[in-house]
Amino acid sequence: MGMNVQETIASPQVWHPQTAAEAWHLKQSLGTDSIYVSGGTLLRTQWEAGIAAMPKHFINLSSIRGLSEIRVGESGLIIGGQVKLQACRMNTMIQRYFPMLTEALRLTAAPSIRQLATLGGNIASSIGDSLPALLGYDAEVVWFNGIEEQLILLKDWLQIARNLHPERLLLRVQLPFQQREEADGLEPGHEELVHSKTKRFYAYHKVGRREAFTPSVVTVSISGILTEARIVKDIRIALGGGQMIPIRLEQLERELIGETVDTQTIRHAYGRVVQLYEPREDIFASSAYRQTTAANVIAAELWKIAAEA
Amino acid sequence: MLLNRVNSGGRWRIRPDGIGKVTGSLTYLTDMTAGSMLYGLVLRSEYPHASVISIQTDKAEKLPGVHAVLTYRDVPGLNAFGIAHPDQPVLCEDRVRYVGDALATVAAESIVIAQQALELIEVEYEVLGVLDDPERALHADAPLLHPKGNAMHRTTFTRGNVDEAFKQCAYIAEEIYYTPRQMHTYMETEGGLFVPEADGRLTVYSPTQHGFMDRMQLARILSVPQDHIRIISSPIGGSFGGKDELNVQPYGALLATKTGRAIKMHNSRQESVRAGLKRHPMRISMKTGVDEAGQLIAHRVSILADTGPYSTLGAEVLNFATEHVIGPYKYEHLDVEGISVFTNNGMSGEFRGFGGNQAIFALEGQMDRLAEQLGLSPWAFRKLNMRQSDDLGPFDQPIAMTEGAELVWSAIENSRLWQEQVRMKDRSAPKHSEPWIKTGIGAALTMHGAGLGVGIPDPAGGRLELAADGKIEAVFGYEEFGQGLLAALEQMLVEQFGFGASDIRMVIGDTDVVPDSGSTTASRATAMMWKSLQRMRKPFTDQLLKQASTILRCHPGELRIWEGGISLITEAQLLLTYEDLAKQTDVPIRSETSFSFPVSDTKRVGAHFMYTYSAVVVKVELNSLTGRVKVVEQQHAVAAGPVINPQGYLGQIEGGSSMALGFTLLEDAVMDKGHYMTRNLDTYLVPTIVDQQGIVEVEPIEHLPASDDYGPRGIGEVGSVTLAPAIAAAVRQASGKWVTKLPIDPAFLQEKPFFLTGE
Amino acid sequence: MSDHEGQSSTSFALHCFINGEEQTLETTAATRMLNLIRDELELTGTKRSCDIGRCGACMVLMDGIAVNACLTMAYQCAGKSITTIEGIAKNGIDPIQQAFLEEGGFQCGYCTPGMIVSVKALLESNPEPSDDEIAEALSGNICRCTGYGGIWRAVKSAIKMRGSNR
Repeated sequence: MGMNVQETIASPQVWHPQTAAEAWHLKQSLGTDSIYVSGGTLLRTQWEAGIAAMPKHFINLSSIRGLSEIRVGESGLIIGGQVKLQACRMNTMIQRYFPMLTEALRLTAAPSIRQLATLGGNIASSIGDSLPALLGYDAEVVWFNGIEEQLILLKDWLQIARNLHPERLLLRVQLPFQQREEADGLEPGHEELVHSKTKRFYAYHKVGRREAFTPSVVTVSISGILTEARIVKDIRIALGGGQMIPIRLEQLERELIGETVDTQTIRHAYGRVVQLYEPREDIFASSAYRQTTAANVIAAELWKIAAEA
Repeated sequence: MLLNRVNSGGRWRIRPDGIGKVTGSLTYLTDMTAGSMLYGLVLRSEYPHASVISIQTDKAEKLPGVHAVLTYRDVPGLNAFGIAHPDQPVLCEDRVRYVGDALATVAAESIVIAQQALELIEVEYEVLGVLDDPERALHADAPLLHPKGNAMHRTTFTRGNVDEAFKQCAYIAEEIYYTPRQMHTYMETEGGLFVPEADGRLTVYSPTQHGFMDRMQLARILSVPQDHIRIISSPIGGSFGGKDELNVQPYGALLATKTGRAIKMHNSRQESVRAGLKRHPMRISMKTGVDEAGQLIAHRVSILADTGPYSTLGAEVLNFATEHVIGPYKYEHLDVEGISVFTNNGMSGEFRGFGGNQAIFALEGQMDRLAEQLGLSPWAFRKLNMRQSDDLGPFDQPIAMTEGAELVWSAIENSRLWQEQVRMKDRSAPKHSEPWIKTGIGAALTMHGAGLGVGIPDPAGGRLELAADGKIEAVFGYEEFGQGLLAALEQMLVEQFGFGASDIRMVIGDTDVVPDSGSTTASRATAMMWKSLQRMRKPFTDQLLKQASTILRCHPGELRIWEGGISLITEAQLLLTYEDLAKQTDVPIRSETSFSFPVSDTKRVGAHFMYTYSAVVVKVELNSLTGRVKVVEQQHAVAAGPVINPQGYLGQIEGGSSMALGFTLLEDAVMDKGHYMTRNLDTYLVPTIVDQQGIVEVEPIEHLPASDDYGPRGIGEVGSVTLAPAIAAAVRQASGKWVTKLPIDPAFLQEKPFFLTGE
Repeated sequence: MSDHEGQSSTSFALHCFINGEEQTLETTAATRMLNLIRDELELTGTKRSCDIGRCGACMVLMDGIAVNACLTMAYQCAGKSITTIEGIAKNGIDPIQQAFLEEGGFQCGYCTPGMIVSVKALLESNPEPSDDEIAEALSGNICRCTGYGGIWRAVKSAIKMRGSNR
């Protein structure tokens, strides 16, 4: 007999649906006394902390067929919602084509947690550290709503995430490959001449409260394409951190495209990040600190890009 | 010479408790079970401060599987505990003063039932205002948490006239320093097994740093003679001072006595956080002045400590801090006062460094500030004002004289890192590929007292015996909580006596067997074992050789102690094994010693006699974008007399400094209105291996004056007390900012990128 | 609900391999592996400390991969091969354990089984890891005593020992 209180009081039933439809039906019929469980790592911290009661029924999503693989689809890489974070972290396709995601996962929890936790869980939490990286790649998420699969841009889903029904089930993430003509760093020699002198840049930063295995305070992804003349051809900036649902700074992105990266542009970006980023404060870090950090990190990345160009 | 495996040669030994630890076969006391045991749990207060109107336990008692539900009515003896001053209720009757206060304790057949029973206990509270600020707790209109008022303990120490002296000062540094509520975070939470024996006695298998103190306290609570209780207290999965006071033992003992069944208790991490001790948060105000030449003239200090709801060793911690805010420097005029205040926050108590950590952070901060005002090197400034070997101690008390301060000062002065600091400009030139990363180097120095100090019983001693099976039994009342006590003892017996490791059986942590050697605290155990062995060596070996000579029909002078048995001095050949010696002699071969830890000849309570000196230089990298600080290199110099166990010594300094790194950069058990906000290790963050990727070098300085016969000084705490001010000094160099509050707030160090400053 | 719609269970028979031995444990599906290992199987080398995967004291190998036993529920272990610290030294002490002994990679020892399990998982998949890879692999194992100095030395020594044994 164990010494753990929370767990032994409740001994939930665990259901193992084979398909998304089965899972969805289970959730419908069991209602609020049930919960979808992927790796269960985040849920465990909530149960132990007493933030959430352990429900009577677990619907184990890892038994659903076909959600645990990474494969190349027609337009991009498809990652099943049940793929473990560590499998993503070590995946060579992701390392090569979506390095910001690799970096985000390297900095997420610790390897042993990542062996249990899934990308689907990290996304569905709506605050996972992978989200700014995924936003930077224009990720799409495919949900099952009980009737059909629905594809939605991750950035759009995040805007409505808090208001959605918990029965919805994340099936997979799709990461579109970058257009080949933009991807000069990846396939040298194949670009059209007009683009041959552009440079792709990308960075993901997580600022936490210690050097590893830390809750995030600020997460940043910044990526895009710069011409030889240091003109921004394309840029994506995403921010998250703490309990905040990550966002893309699309307004700032639009303002930067076509601009030359110089001190004035960086100063503008700095100011706009502070305006547009509305992080949630907690006892460990103020909103002002988070804003300054995000602005500093983004400014520094732009400065580096310009310096390297 | 740096301390490491290569330089230590054959003295670098595998620990005797190692194999059990690396294979997981060692049974910790919280791993133990008994056949018919029950599970014990404690109901703790919902509120940081409340009157208790009533406690109804009937429903809980009726729950099938529940064997006992105990409240204050069921405490047969003194319903209180506390090492120095027992004012913490075992089970609260009419008032709760913090969220860890216990109201009831339950024994049940399963943990589930015990938990359900806790939920069925109805406590009616009348919620009272929360005193969560020690300053406010001292206001005249603050409610009293204890009859004698909220000022738990006050200290003063004065010399000369500081008010007048400040008028003479050319430069004055004035600052207020704040330190955090650090948690010990021993990996093994509190717990154990409590077994009523057939003969009516009670055996307590539960970690503590002083078995006899637990025995005394439990006997007082249970109202039984002390010899009715047996305490088994080692091995321990970490303590750092945190398990010296009683924790779950009163409940396990009461439940076992009541039910007649074995009781298992093992705190969850959350319960450990809620009920357990923390380091005293302190606010230390200092005003320190120097003359034109840089000589310290006046030093005024005011310490405010948040001791939480009950005393435990809060007074002793404040005494220690009071001594260490004076430290290894000379001032003509001194005015130090301290106050430790009761609040409704968490319990503060004993923690590695014992008030030195806070004091030294503040004091060394003053030295750096004054040096800068004077335009002197901070290290040269320290030298100018540092004590000489024959100076009195901080409280003007006689101390064991060594050149420790001078020696560690010189070691740092000549260190590679300090030389690098000397070459650096005020603020490092941006040469990093990421120019917002700034580096700085800083150093700090201290003298840290060992032993409990004047006025507190500080017994020491031990026993050596040739057991019937031929083992050389070394019996001490000390505890092994990871520091390497057994390794040090074995090494001394091997090196100083000549026994082989396999000849030895070490017995510790069992009050039925061991002598009261005093507590395993205050960096004292290794020193006291060394002294004990010094005292027993001749009598014990003389007996061994004498009995052997009788059997071997020769002169004892021809014989010597050898691995495995007795040999001739002239040749390394075993003549008589210890086993045969034990079998063939009918005279008990045994030596025992008892004495007191050496104390200073002064009336000043808490003043120390023996000190360890240490200094450290660190290099940090500050990322000014985020304000986050990384410690990339540390060089420690420690003057603590002879190195008894090189691996253990190195481990103590490395481990202590890691704890200090957490204290400086990461750790704070945040409370809000008397409730912990950091309830587990997802929010209370201690250093990981990634935070400790920097180099740590340790240079032990073994030199002691020829007349010194006190042997090794303690090293258990000193690694954890000097790093914080050194980091703060390094941060000053990197950022131009003076840190006054720990852990360092990254927001304070954050800067706008250089390429955006200036319009 | 059709027959296809999942099996549920409160009581649950867990079939798995523990330290190489086939086991069937009567438990519940959501019971944590930590409780099964420590309380049912009495393999107390796996330690309990934080209960939420933040300290690594309960690390075990699941099909060779280090996972926190406090986070892993019984149903997640079905059919898996679990190795605890007791299983690592089954055929004599492992070079990693030897390295921890020689370098002093432990003090109180309470984190040590979990730490050694994590090192084992690392070196089995990556025999010559870089410093950053070592740090990443051990970032989920908290040691409060050593400051990690002895652990760094032990891991490096273990890498060498294993290399020369090959």
